[in-house]
Amino acid sequence: PDGVVVLPAPQNLSIQSANMKHLLTWSPVIMPGETVFYSVEYQGEYESLYTSHIWIPSSWCSPTKGPECDVTDDITATVPYNLRVRATLGSQTSAWSTLEHPFNRNSTVLTPPRMEVTKDGLHLVIELEDLGPHFEFLVVYWREEPGAKEHVKVMTGGLPVHLETMEPGAMYCVKAEALVKAIGKHSAFNQAECVEVQGESLPL
Amino acid sequence: EFRFGPCRVENVILLELWEAFRAVKDSVQTQDNITSVRLLKPEVLHDVSDAESCYLVHSLLKFYLNTVFKNYHNKRVEFKILKSISTLANNFIVITSKLRPCVKNDMLSIYKSAHRRFLLFKRAFKQLDTEAALTKAFGEVDILLTWMEKFYHY
Repeated sequence: PDGVVVLPAPQNLSIQSANMKHLLTWSPVIMPGETVFYSVEYQGEYESLYTSHIWIPSSWCSPTKGPECDVTDDITATVPYNLRVRATLGSQTSAWSTLEHPFNRNSTVLTPPRMEVTKDGLHLVIELEDLGPHFEFLVVYWREEPGAKEHVKVMTGGLPVHLETMEPGAMYCVKAEALVKAIGKHSAFNQAECVEVQGESLPL
Repeated sequence: EFRFGPCRVENVILLELWEAFRAVKDSVQTQDNITSVRLLKPEVLHDVSDAESCYLVHSLLKFYLNTVFKNYHNKRVEFKILKSISTLANNFIVITSKLRPCVKNDMLSIYKSAHRRFLLFKRAFKQLDTEAALTKAFGEVDILLTWMEKFYHY
């Protein structure tokens, strides 16, 4: 129609997922001097198979200003999800743009966890970052000596945990990996950290 | 993971299902006016053997996917119910896709026993008006999850 600017649909949709946080991004629709809003909707495998006309508004981005949307709270099963975005300017809405490939949370990248290994007197203490409810951590620790025996513990993050009561003069090392049962995957181990307790080691 | 007898299912977090249902439990259950009827009655779920459980959960979840959730969308539902159904239904798809109920002859009697239980549920559902049956079945997801939890290993 004459002179009416048709609002273009958002382009270049893509999703980045790390440690079970899923961020949908797209190229902003530029309308000089105007504020464009966006709406995001999703559809799981169930909706696309059984009720394909059903799309569900995203929890946090219907509408939103920025050209991105955290869809973590919308992706609540380990199945493929379709995601789509459209632009809105006043009464005008663009066509929908749909993510080219459905997203499954089992493709998230799991990074080696950050951890802090400390000693509290003779106590070996570890604290792992809190990555949210999906995460557990497999912690491996040992006393640095020939033929060392590795000990294993599974724990959650966010709180300091006592691992071992150490002997003076001995060095103890710790490493950890992240486990996510919802997708049946784990991260690589992080870099081992060692601590040593001063003083004479007790005679054997 | 779930262990329904010989059937194992991983990658489903039962807590996510409970959270999805609890978000809508009150609003769904208050719409259920027929308090004298229960679809998932004791005869359906009590004393289910491990061997039966794989058959029964497969039938029940398929019914919820094909009938309850599918038709619930035809009702004017609020946003949070849409989200709750989506979480439950998509996880039910994960579960049913991993269940492989055994079809050998020596399992026939166990299959029949599980099927009788399922038919009790289905008949009760069919005896109600469709709208009422959908509301009641959705409202009884907590009964279903409570039973499924017996087979869940943390």
